[in-house]
Amino acid sequence: MKNNAVEISGLALTFDGRRILDDISFCVPVGARVSLTGPSGSGKSSILRAVMGFIQPTAGEIFVEGEEVDASSIWRLRGRLAFVQQEPDLGEGRVAEILQKPFSYKINSNIEYDSGRSESLFDELLLQRSLLEKDAATLSGGEKQRVAIVSAILLNRDIYLLDEVTSALDAESKKAVADFFRRANNITVLSVSHDRNGVFFPDNNIEIC
Amino acid sequence: MDTINISWSAFIAGYALLIIPLAILLWYRVPIIKESAIAVVRMTVQLLFVGLYLQYIFNLNSFWINGLWLVVMTVVADVSIIRGVGLRMRRFAWPVFISLLIGTAIPLTFFVGLILKRPHLLDAQYAIPIGGMILGNCLRADIIGIRGFYKSVRKSEKRYLLSLAQGARLREAVMPFVRDAYRDSLMPTVATISTIGLVSLPGMMTGVILGGASPMVAIKYQVAIMIAIVTGTVITVSMAITLTLKSSFTRYGVLDKDIFV
Repeated sequence: MKNNAVEISGLALTFDGRRILDDISFCVPVGARVSLTGPSGSGKSSILRAVMGFIQPTAGEIFVEGEEVDASSIWRLRGRLAFVQQEPDLGEGRVAEILQKPFSYKINSNIEYDSGRSESLFDELLLQRSLLEKDAATLSGGEKQRVAIVSAILLNRDIYLLDEVTSALDAESKKAVADFFRRANNITVLSVSHDRNGVFFPDNNIEIC
Repeated sequence: MDTINISWSAFIAGYALLIIPLAILLWYRVPIIKESAIAVVRMTVQLLFVGLYLQYIFNLNSFWINGLWLVVMTVVADVSIIRGVGLRMRRFAWPVFISLLIGTAIPLTFFVGLILKRPHLLDAQYAIPIGGMILGNCLRADIIGIRGFYKSVRKSEKRYLLSLAQGARLREAVMPFVRDAYRDSLMPTVATISTIGLVSLPGMMTGVILGGASPMVAIKYQVAIMIAIVTGTVITVSMAITLTLKSSFTRYGVLDKDIFV
């Protein structure tokens, strides 16, 4: 079980009293890059939210690096997970301040904010460095998505849960993001997309119907 | 200087002044005449009752009865706050009551015991009006603070969940929302303090002057009550949020939507 970064077993999810997923099981091995596809409303994003502990399954189990997700383990497990939302709300303030904020959390006290690294990640994801000094509220949808990705990468997590993270990006930026996650070492990626062009890892695809 | 009594006949004659607003409202056919009439009748009945039992309480001036009266005022404020914020009574009534009780008791004890140096801490003449003023202001601030806090967490759910996803503990994730709630709840009091006396004479000062004291005595009371109000406001808002935090979020740190009515 420890060879799996994420393991989902017999998962059922309900939203507003309606069952959106039933008996879903799959594994994402450590170091794998997996795409989760399916039509809108099929419950793909809800799987990621359940892994993060934001919604609770009505049946089934979720394991992260061999440890079952529950109300007590999730606080520790979030220190190994990165979750990037489709339309991130970064909050208020300068982008550089927003990137530094999570380093003030106790769980991240063993890592330090590296401004040089954030600049090089900005370059890699085709973001202008001058954005670091801008107010986050003035960024476009595509810029916000990439800043959220940079923020997640800076925290050095093991497992990346990406929810349609390139939906607002042009083809060139999409490729830059996909290339980064294909090349990066020692990480596991589970990426959700309903758009065939947005699939990061077409060779390793799980379809939710 | 003594306060001149208003005779009952003069008191009733006072209602004659209402002819002016009534005439204007009728002339413009403003659809608020019925509500205004009901409000005036309600005010009169409520205040007559309050006057009657306050007179009784003041005559007795018993520590226990005065204390009980303050608790009754706190319960009324508690219910008004929870109705005003649109949250579930069952889950919020007790923690908000405790917050109000402590948030009122601390500045009231300080005011009556240390500033006025009254040997009898719950002396009706001081404890009831001062306690009422602190409580009334806490009520307004609590509605703004508690409602602002829970509504902004719900409205900015994505931002809040992002903090959790980045590893924040519950207290770390709610901190920006708590800060905003404190600021919003204190803003009206701070605005009042900074313009006090310039726009209108504040209530306490007016009362003390009408009671026959000199304006200098009145301003001392006014400054002391404003300090007591700020203290009470900060204590009640912070306690109410702290005491309701654990039960309003799931064990996974997500806001429990069932807290809203």
